[in-house]
Amino acid sequence: MASREVIQYETPLSKAFRGFCAVFLAFYVVWTVLPLFIMFMSSFKDLLEAFKLPAVGDWAGVTVFFEFTPTTKHYYELFANLGFSTYLFNSLVAAGGSAVVSVILGSMCAYSLSRIDFKGKGDLFFWIISTRMAPVVAVMVPLYWIFRQLDLVGTLPGLILAYTTFNLPFAIWILKGFFDNVPYAIEEAQMVDGATRFQALRAILPLVAPGIGAFIVLCILFAWNDYLFAAIIGSGGAKTLPVATRELVQPQNIQWGQIMAAGVVTTLPMMFLGLVIRKYLVTGLTMGAVKE
Amino acid sequence: MTDATTPKTSGAARKISGSGRNLDLFRVRHIPDSVESRPVPLSVTEPSSLNKPVSKSFYFWLMVPAILVLAFISIYPFFWMIYMSLHDVDIGHIEWNNFANFIKLPSDTRFLMGWLLLAQYSAMCLTLQIVIGVFLALALNGTRLEKVLVTTLLMPMMMAPLVAGMVWYFLYNGTFGWYHWLLQSLGILGPKSILASSNTAMIGLVLVDVWQWTPLITLITLAGLKRVPQDQLEANMVDGASPFRNFVSVTMPNLYPVLLIAIMLRFMDNFRFIDSILVLTGGGPGNATKILPVYLFEVSFKFFKLGRGAAIALILLIVTIILGKLLVRVFDRQQPSKV
Repeated sequence: MASREVIQYETPLSKAFRGFCAVFLAFYVVWTVLPLFIMFMSSFKDLLEAFKLPAVGDWAGVTVFFEFTPTTKHYYELFANLGFSTYLFNSLVAAGGSAVVSVILGSMCAYSLSRIDFKGKGDLFFWIISTRMAPVVAVMVPLYWIFRQLDLVGTLPGLILAYTTFNLPFAIWILKGFFDNVPYAIEEAQMVDGATRFQALRAILPLVAPGIGAFIVLCILFAWNDYLFAAIIGSGGAKTLPVATRELVQPQNIQWGQIMAAGVVTTLPMMFLGLVIRKYLVTGLTMGAVKE
Repeated sequence: MTDATTPKTSGAARKISGSGRNLDLFRVRHIPDSVESRPVPLSVTEPSSLNKPVSKSFYFWLMVPAILVLAFISIYPFFWMIYMSLHDVDIGHIEWNNFANFIKLPSDTRFLMGWLLLAQYSAMCLTLQIVIGVFLALALNGTRLEKVLVTTLLMPMMMAPLVAGMVWYFLYNGTFGWYHWLLQSLGILGPKSILASSNTAMIGLVLVDVWQWTPLITLITLAGLKRVPQDQLEANMVDGASPFRNFVSVTMPNLYPVLLIAIMLRFMDNFRFIDSILVLTGGGPGNATKILPVYLFEVSFKFFKLGRGAAIALILLIVTIILGKLLVRVFDRQQPSKV
């Protein structure tokens, strides 16, 4: 930037703009974190303490928020009496199962799609992606009917299969882009050296392994956070955490402390996983259209 | 090729050496294509194993399991959806009803309103998210705290939309919600919760969506900003352009493709995710926030009119597929510039 001496970069206007940006950023970070913070704090509050509010317009009274004796009784209640350990297990199995199934089948399919051309490949691809884009509510109407006939409603295998409707197309779509980046020459070289087709495929697996791992995590994230499928197809026998959280809302008394605690239990593991795969997050959430 | 490497016995090589007895080594020779130009080994033995060319069936069998599973969970239900949409479906009993499900739709005000509200909801969400998201990305880009802040902003996206809905339901609550207190203290709102009146309920929902998903737009825009060619920016500056001018004529054109993707993705997601709406208002008060997917959910799984639900779902699905086609076209156009 030798041009720095020639051109005036800092004008009062740009300085003001930068100041405004800083204020805006600070404000936005608070706005983002505040609901999470309140959720977290409220999960440690007794019911009455969670309801304490200052009078309208009493800005100094905000300190009420911090006046409480922390208690873990909501967490205890969740796991001891409300069966959240079962729901946690259900969530884990459903999300993990569908992620593993999707990524294994998906990477096989994606690999083939990336290596060969055939007539109708574009159509096949569009079908795969539109399965992913379809509104969950719309897909669920016939799926519920079919699953009822097969006795899959309210079972974990049913839920895993239901989650596969959005995870499998996602895995195929994303992993195809991934395999496209691995040059075929590597496999060719392996085969020239006498490897069989399958051994050659195994040889490139270490190259794609980190990506595949990351997308297993992303699939888990999508399935874990789902509510609609779990509420309808998993209803009864395969209740997951979001559904169980929703059911804490009773018409008579809403157990806010427990709800917030359940929210923390549902959210924390996913935030952690999100941080772990931070590098692949944008690619994953934009269906591979944007790369960081 | 020098004489030293030329074996005497090899036929292909002898051709060269035979005519090359009085060669000028420093002149570039033309070697005809028919001549093997590499040193040829004395004896050619067959390799102990030969790989046959890869047959297509290998790839085919790799694809089959995924395609079968996908067919079972997408094509098969699709035909069921068409079948159901033409019938009265009760539990354990299906009856043909002469397209009644579809005929009733144009006169169903909640169905029509559903589309209108969906459009309204999407428009509000998208406008706010794009404006705030892009501005946020610009403010973040290149600052020292960028990494930390982006990670902080990511947090809401990792949250289940349902849990987000619950938390905001708590915050909006008319008697003990902190955000309600805030809005009241600022004089924006009366004692009635934002979700309780049909004028403001939609805004309440939009705020939740903005809270959760604006960071996605920011992330996408940041990725786009990193790809804006710096040399163009600098050249423009040297020519005396103001930073604002620079933004409008260099940065923005480079951002359009990524923004388009962001808009399409969020738009589709507004069709897909209704979890937070179900918790926050459930379509109410009255029908003020009953956007089409919520209405569909209610028809199918609250009143269990699965036939009618299938008809609505079919129409919703067709619209989504058309939108998806557009989206894929955008993706494809994006492909060449992808690094």
